[in-house]
Amino acid sequence: MDLGLKGKKAIVTGSTKGIGRRIVDLLADEGVDVGVCSRDEDEVAETVAALKAKGVNAVGAAVNVRDGDAYKVWLTETAEALGGVDIFVPNVSGGGGMDSEKNWWKCFEIDILGTVRGVETLMPQLEQSEAAAVVIISSTNAVEFFAGPMAYNAMKAALLNYSKQLALFVAKKGIRVNAVSPGPVYFEGGAWEMIEGTMPEFYKATLKQIPAGRMATPEEIARVVAFAASPAGSVLQGANIVADLGFTNRVQY
Amino acid sequence: MNKLDKVEASFVRSYAKLDTVRDVKVPRVNPEDSPETPAEKAPDPNLGTEVIPASRYTSAEFMRLEWEHIWRKVWLLGCREDDIPEAGDYACTEIGRESVLIVRQPDGGVRAFYNVCQHRGNRLRSPGYGSATTFKCSYHHWEYRLDGSFENIPDVDTFPQGSPCNGLTEIPCDSWGSFVWFSLNPEVEPLLEFLDPIPAHLGAYNFSRMALTRDVTIEWNCNWKASVDAFNESYHVQGIHPQLLWYLDDYNIQIDCYARHNRYLIPFATISPRVKLPPDIPPAIKHIMLEAGMDPADYDGKIKDLRVNIQKFKRKHGVAQGKDYSRLNDDQLTDDYHYMIFPNVTLNIHADDLMLFRQRPHPTDPDKMLFDVQTYELIPEGGEWPERPEHATYPHGDKSIGLVLDQDAHNLPGVQQGMHSAGFRGLWLGKQELRIRHFHKVIDDYIFGPGGKPADSAF
Repeated sequence: MDLGLKGKKAIVTGSTKGIGRRIVDLLADEGVDVGVCSRDEDEVAETVAALKAKGVNAVGAAVNVRDGDAYKVWLTETAEALGGVDIFVPNVSGGGGMDSEKNWWKCFEIDILGTVRGVETLMPQLEQSEAAAVVIISSTNAVEFFAGPMAYNAMKAALLNYSKQLALFVAKKGIRVNAVSPGPVYFEGGAWEMIEGTMPEFYKATLKQIPAGRMATPEEIARVVAFAASPAGSVLQGANIVADLGFTNRVQY
Repeated sequence: MNKLDKVEASFVRSYAKLDTVRDVKVPRVNPEDSPETPAEKAPDPNLGTEVIPASRYTSAEFMRLEWEHIWRKVWLLGCREDDIPEAGDYACTEIGRESVLIVRQPDGGVRAFYNVCQHRGNRLRSPGYGSATTFKCSYHHWEYRLDGSFENIPDVDTFPQGSPCNGLTEIPCDSWGSFVWFSLNPEVEPLLEFLDPIPAHLGAYNFSRMALTRDVTIEWNCNWKASVDAFNESYHVQGIHPQLLWYLDDYNIQIDCYARHNRYLIPFATISPRVKLPPDIPPAIKHIMLEAGMDPADYDGKIKDLRVNIQKFKRKHGVAQGKDYSRLNDDQLTDDYHYMIFPNVTLNIHADDLMLFRQRPHPTDPDKMLFDVQTYELIPEGGEWPERPEHATYPHGDKSIGLVLDQDAHNLPGVQQGMHSAGFRGLWLGKQELRIRHFHKVIDDYIFGPGGKPADSAF
């Protein structure tokens, strides 16, 4: 199956490590020019070099998505450097934690505003694209109990609502918007590796809840994101694709 | 390069790369910016690569040599100054088969005596702490003053030979660093000379500002040296304490060996190069931040800069929190300045707390030991001084003493069993275990005299 991605241009935030890195790796393999960012200059430089080696155009910079002005400037400059934007994946997240009220501000600024500001800033470019697609990264934590009343869970739920509202709002402009909700994803340098090392009982209990007996790989999630973002996924609009190896047990009506 | 060195070099090349996943350059304080505690790396002593024979851990003969040449010769940690604040307060502590009374004198000084009545050899007091006006033996009521002299011998006229001596047998006793030390050696060198260079290194912490918060003794089923060894290297973190890989750098440590004592400096509040940087702040580092008054959710820096940023925060906010860090360098605000005072005191020293281990041999059995663990916490200026916790004694494995120490405690009996195996010659130590080699070198110096160990020694 040809995903139809070749020659497209994508911006993915938080894309030097983890799921974000696998998404840009996969998109570049499919011939997509990519714009990447993270807070670490060295990691950005390494990622851009690796992506260029795949034969696509790649640009990147160290950006703190929490800094709204700097983030918008970076988005605009990246879109210009790429010569347009077809795909936007606001991937970066504030992460978990419920030890302070500040977690709510942090996840609001990074997960919610990182997504909303990105969409609004890139809207002119997306409107001009022949195959515009936004893929929002949520989580199974948005729809089922996980760990406790964390800002992370609530903000991921808010992103699902935003994703659906946005999808129907911009559908007429030919822009597709979908959400992907991964379950637990394990990789070196990921949260679950640290949880396995620092809270082994919690890790084992979570693993037990996954019928597959393992956690997803970031490559598996990247494939779902790439499909949702690609012309091959043209029928998807306002969907929430739960990519969790059966971790959730609710029925998705 | 001899053959063994070549083997060693290839080992380091082939494995060191494999077992760390990141090249980490730990920012270290410039020694010139350390107001008191020297931060310089001491030159590594050349201690060879010999096997450390397992018999040192199992042999009754070696245990006897240690008693004769170490325990009876050195200065030993007795108690804290504030364990015995008032005249007549005493601490009764044991080493080997001996028991010692450390007594606060009316003039404020401290004196120590063998805890034995000169009449028929009865112990005057049980181990622990108490207060006395005199020490009266429960057997025949022979009675001693706080300075050890006789107060009263009942029916003294029935001893035609007179009294046996002037009173209790006194031994050297002195104080340093808020702790009281004693020695069974009447000829022992001055305490500060024995402790050198520790007092110059650790005065900056001013331990008298720290209050005891835990006081526990556990009987461990291993030789006392197996316990000292366990805390003298960070190489075992990957095996025994995997959770600490998201808490400290077990690989980029600075090891410094001095005449008889040694130390290593372990960066805390950072991520081990054996694992990749995580996306979030690890739970245990969040705990460090909260203790320092930092809100982890408010942290906007990079994970790899956590340690330095915590140092800066503590430097900036310490005074307002009643914590005077002015005598400490920046690294001391986060790191473990880990000292071993020969032969048996292990100090995990941090700006805000101290975890002290005293490792005592079992009186008769080389396969057992007494592991004393005490924790102290810095009391902010104006803060309330907590009541001294009761001392508690547990058998091995009976109660948790915290995850990290439980992990060590769980491991050590297996180590001791292995020491007895015909399939094990002894300790095969690497560079990360230099402090263990140094510890055993100092043991040899005491037992055999410097360089005096016979070539055919079984130990």
